[in-house]
Amino acid sequence: MDGSGTASTPEARLERLESELALLKSKLAGHGTADGALPALVTPATGQEDRLSLIVFSGSLDRLIAAFVLATGAAAMGMRVSMFFTFWGTSALRREAVQVKKSLLERMFGWMLPKGVKKLPLSQMNMGGGGPMMIRYVMKKKGVASVEEMMALAAELGVEVNICTMSMDLLGMKEGEMLEYPGLAYCGVAKFLETAAPGKITMFV
Amino acid sequence: MQTLDARGKSCPLPIVLTAKAVKQMSTGEELTVLADDRAFLPDVEAWCRKTGHELCSTQSKDGCFEATIRRRG
Repeated sequence: MDGSGTASTPEARLERLESELALLKSKLAGHGTADGALPALVTPATGQEDRLSLIVFSGSLDRLIAAFVLATGAAAMGMRVSMFFTFWGTSALRREAVQVKKSLLERMFGWMLPKGVKKLPLSQMNMGGGGPMMIRYVMKKKGVASVEEMMALAAELGVEVNICTMSMDLLGMKEGEMLEYPGLAYCGVAKFLETAAPGKITMFV
Repeated sequence: MQTLDARGKSCPLPIVLTAKAVKQMSTGEELTVLADDRAFLPDVEAWCRKTGHELCSTQSKDGCFEATIRRRG
């Protein structure tokens, strides 16, 4: 050793590392699952609730079908399910032919946006309205539940439906024109985040 | 022993209808589900693993699938 006191030779540093390692190992011993095993990384408590949270941003029929297949499937599997309808997705929850009091701009939006799930376009191959007709025909033929049937099943299975009030305000929609659904709730982003944070699966449709 | 005929129905109906039927049953009761959806057998196996109910038997013949489930708890 060079006796400089800073122990900077490779051998000295190696010796110091080895003794520190031995000290750490002795501190960890008894915390792992087997003798000498290192403890597992501490996993946060989130992501453990058996819940599926879905943000339904899209207002196209094909995506609404996907959202409800996921929601009803998850509910059938015993998961708790929360759906949050925002932006274009809020159109899917409108009732047809309901008149509510609106300002001029709100009326314009109301007129331009689809009134409920029966009027939604497809995200592709819409073909001026022919697309949704085609897909509904094929679904019926193949025994796939219609989106209306799936919404009814969702209600039966206790799927929670929430609507983003900010989207409704922007798009000029009123509570009076939204469909009737058991436990239908209005909320903002914080409610969504609080609900989704502990859940196992969260998706954006 | 009840039977649920889900033939002619596609995902998610076979599983959703199965879940609804099992909910109405008491512990120990059995349900046989018939389906012709190719997804049915993998789905019902997954469903039983997830929900804890017992998958007593499965059968597939000529594109028709059968699963017998016993309700636990």
